[in-house]
Amino acid sequence: MPEAPRSDLALEVRELSRTFGARKALDKVNLELPKGAFLSIFGPNGAGKTTLVKVLTTLTNPSKGEARVAGYHVVEDAVPLREHIGLISHNPLLYPDLTAEENLLFFADMYGLPDPAVRVRELLEAVELDHRRLDPVRAFSRGMLQRLSIARALLHKPEVLFLDEPYSGLDPHAMDILDSLIAQIRAEHTFVMISHDLAKGLELCSHALILAKGKVVFFEEKESIDDEAFGKLYRSTVGMGVS
Amino acid sequence: MSDKILTRAEAPASKSGSSSWRQFKAILRKDIVMEMRTKEMLTSMGLYTLLTLVVYYVALSQTGNAFDVRLIAGGLLWLAFLFTSMLGLNRSLVHEKDQGCLDALLLSPVDRPVIFFAKATGNLVFLLIVEVLTLPLFWLMFLSGSNKQIAGPWWMIALALLVGSIGIAGMGTLLATMSVNTTGKDFILAVLFVPVMFPLLLGVVSATSAVIIGDQGWVSTYWQMIGIAAGYDAIMLLAAFGLYEFVIGA
Repeated sequence: MPEAPRSDLALEVRELSRTFGARKALDKVNLELPKGAFLSIFGPNGAGKTTLVKVLTTLTNPSKGEARVAGYHVVEDAVPLREHIGLISHNPLLYPDLTAEENLLFFADMYGLPDPAVRVRELLEAVELDHRRLDPVRAFSRGMLQRLSIARALLHKPEVLFLDEPYSGLDPHAMDILDSLIAQIRAEHTFVMISHDLAKGLELCSHALILAKGKVVFFEEKESIDDEAFGKLYRSTVGMGVS
Repeated sequence: MSDKILTRAEAPASKSGSSSWRQFKAILRKDIVMEMRTKEMLTSMGLYTLLTLVVYYVALSQTGNAFDVRLIAGGLLWLAFLFTSMLGLNRSLVHEKDQGCLDALLLSPVDRPVIFFAKATGNLVFLLIVEVLTLPLFWLMFLSGSNKQIAGPWWMIALALLVGSIGIAGMGTLLATMSVNTTGKDFILAVLFVPVMFPLLLGVVSATSAVIIGDQGWVSTYWQMIGIAAGYDAIMLLAAFGLYEFVIGA
């Protein structure tokens, strides 16, 4: 008989596997993450990090096992779950031929927000893009795109935010802005971040996970982590390559 | 920067319920606005159709008056629209995928069939625009002589075009979604498109030809063929409704 979901957990992952043909992208992954935590996921390219996030964000189905995010089953409750999660990726996930305002209004309609124009205006002001609201997104710099991407992800006030290498390609100023935005929303969200930047990932996280060949090789709370030993483990894991 | 806006407690975004109708309208409006801005699909589809008509015209001008072009006009018309539609269908989802926006769309709490119906409606609108612009030109080039009058009224051709276009846009959107994640997406769509469309093509080409040629009993032939095409549309829409969740998530 399956266990009942725990209300104190943001993530519950049990024996989760995802295969692509003969290749195991995820191999019996287990983890539990409390609400309000910040999980940094590390690992070499092809370790299964993005696949794990894709399963947890309902973008792909698991082959075996099960996962719950914010108490919702990723397959059985996929549609209601999507109202509780947001994704900020290195790819902005915005339509370049629409303006900043049109992009956010489109996603506000998709999430069924009651006062989309008000919410969009508030968010554009919050990410300091209100003066560029009528400009097409294709004219935006990388940093501006990332700020608008954050606004898109926060539009519906998600409980759990997934960050897929959000600092990738950002200049130092844009990184500072992203740091500031994350700091502002940190207390009220659960974060799951994929990162290749060990220092940044460890700085932000409350929990750290290393994946290699689709398996969990390390999962601990930050308080119990020895940074030096963790760095050694990470480097040796990266050397393991992909499955 | 205001921190009140970003936090969850200060202004919870209580949802009014993301109704499927609102999501359908949002996706359709977005696709139309983007197309009106870039005109990528309409331009390529329109130019391709024009090129096809010019090739037909040059080839048929060699036959002189002895050849009755009405005998093949239905086939010529649908051939042009069929290949034009493939051009547009390929672009509609590949464009979304290439810009990385498909994931953002799939992340939103939308039932997958809503995405299908919105995308298919957008493709239908673009195909109908090309058809409306092309049809007068086709008439002028091939059916405007005194000995080339069509047998039936134009609304019957318009009905055949509408029924055929619904099937092409619907099944084409489903096939384009299936092929969008494959490496040879253009090839896959082309290989699957014509065999899967055969019953529809049989119906609409025969119906269009019946109206143009006007052989004995053409009215009953016309309605019989429209019935086949409409039946195909209904089955296709039901199949797409049931399959789209699986197809887009594969």
